[in-house]
Amino acid sequence: MERVTPRRITPGARARRALLVDAILAAAIAALALSLAAGLGVVGFFALPVLALGLLWIGAERAAAGLRRRRRARA
Amino acid sequence: MAAERHSRRPAERVAPWRRARRVVLLAAAICLLPAAVSWVRTMSRPHNVGPGVATVEWVRAHGGNGLVSQIENWYYTLNAPSKGGPPLKSLPRVGVTADVAAKTPARTVAYRPPRIAPLIHPALKGEGVWRPAAAHAGPEPAVLLTTFRSDPEYPQFVAGVAWIDSRRTHLAYVPGLAEPPEISHRGPAEVPTALRRRVVATFNGGFPLETSNAGLVYRGETIAPMVNGIATLVEYRDGRVDIVRWEHGDNPSRHVWFAKQNLPPIVYGGRLNPNLSDGPEWGATVNNAVRVWRSGIGIDGHGNLIYAAANYQTVGSLAEILKRAGAVRALELDINEDWTSFISYRRPGAGEPSNLLPEMFRPSTRYLTPDERDFFAVYLRPGKGWSG
Repeated sequence: MERVTPRRITPGARARRALLVDAILAAAIAALALSLAAGLGVVGFFALPVLALGLLWIGAERAAAGLRRRRRARA
Repeated sequence: MAAERHSRRPAERVAPWRRARRVVLLAAAICLLPAAVSWVRTMSRPHNVGPGVATVEWVRAHGGNGLVSQIENWYYTLNAPSKGGPPLKSLPRVGVTADVAAKTPARTVAYRPPRIAPLIHPALKGEGVWRPAAAHAGPEPAVLLTTFRSDPEYPQFVAGVAWIDSRRTHLAYVPGLAEPPEISHRGPAEVPTALRRRVVATFNGGFPLETSNAGLVYRGETIAPMVNGIATLVEYRDGRVDIVRWEHGDNPSRHVWFAKQNLPPIVYGGRLNPNLSDGPEWGATVNNAVRVWRSGIGIDGHGNLIYAAANYQTVGSLAEILKRAGAVRALELDINEDWTSFISYRRPGAGEPSNLLPEMFRPSTRYLTPDERDFFAVYLRPGKGWSG
């Protein structure tokens, strides 16, 4: 029997596939949260700070990485 | 080959925790979409409160009442006032002229409420003394106002009280822009222009229907089913008003014009409700023992209404104020600084509106523009008008 070797995929395709999986997972979690919560007010109350903190976290991470790159470039 | 080399570099793989973070953020963003649509829809409707208060009310109305109440409990508990403090030197001036007893001619036989006996001695000037709310109100003013220090342990707290002569006035329930949510005759949500020449006072309503879990009848139509055992401010078709503990089931009799329910009675049969501490019967709201702006309405033994409001009150201390002012039955109305208002009009045509207490947060013109919440308006009966 012929063995099928895994198809080699580009990094871009891998990233897109991971993003799709994550998006599906996120949609499932959101649907669960929206159906279980007492109302949109509760969902919004918790989702807004989560999103804000997450975006701040990513922003801080990128700023720190940029700083490191610039230091390395100077060195 | 370059691509193959590239794909094997471990740095290109997204770390699992980063993916988890991405999932959480995407889920939060998806959740926020319908919430944002609902919020924008609510905020784009006409309203007369700031965006912060409107947002809190939106959260409350969309399943977050318990959440908001819990946060309020924490906030007010952390900011609870301390006992004692320097004594007050004077009370805020309410009303327009000297006290009624001094101005009332001997021939007047109409009932006037007695002075509210001060609790703290020496009493301050005018403490507990009733004054007419309006200028040129004649020997029998329809609305009297006073202030007094209501708690010896907190000598800086001042309660504002209004007495409303039911023989000379007519009480009207006015639906707000957003409360009650479903109603067939919403009206202007403010004192109607045609009735302003007779309006003498306006005051806040009770909790929103969603948080009170109580009933409402308006123009004889049941807006929300009435609940037995709940305190009810009721007006009958003949104009008589009363405060009762409702015992007539879901639907009112045809004699009821409006009936607004709010929580169990806090004063009944001239006595305080023995169960004024927290319990499920008080609904999903700020705990009864939390000190916050509170208001209530009572009725005296002669059928006249007594409104009271003050900052830093518990349900128990509010009930004490109403009882001391002469109420034999009473219910709690709205709470928090954003919703507590008693406004008297010193001149005909809703002229010179004046808040009962100067610290009342909302402007004295509150009910002369459309308001979010339902409220009550007090009109002089025809023929009982301004005498001046």
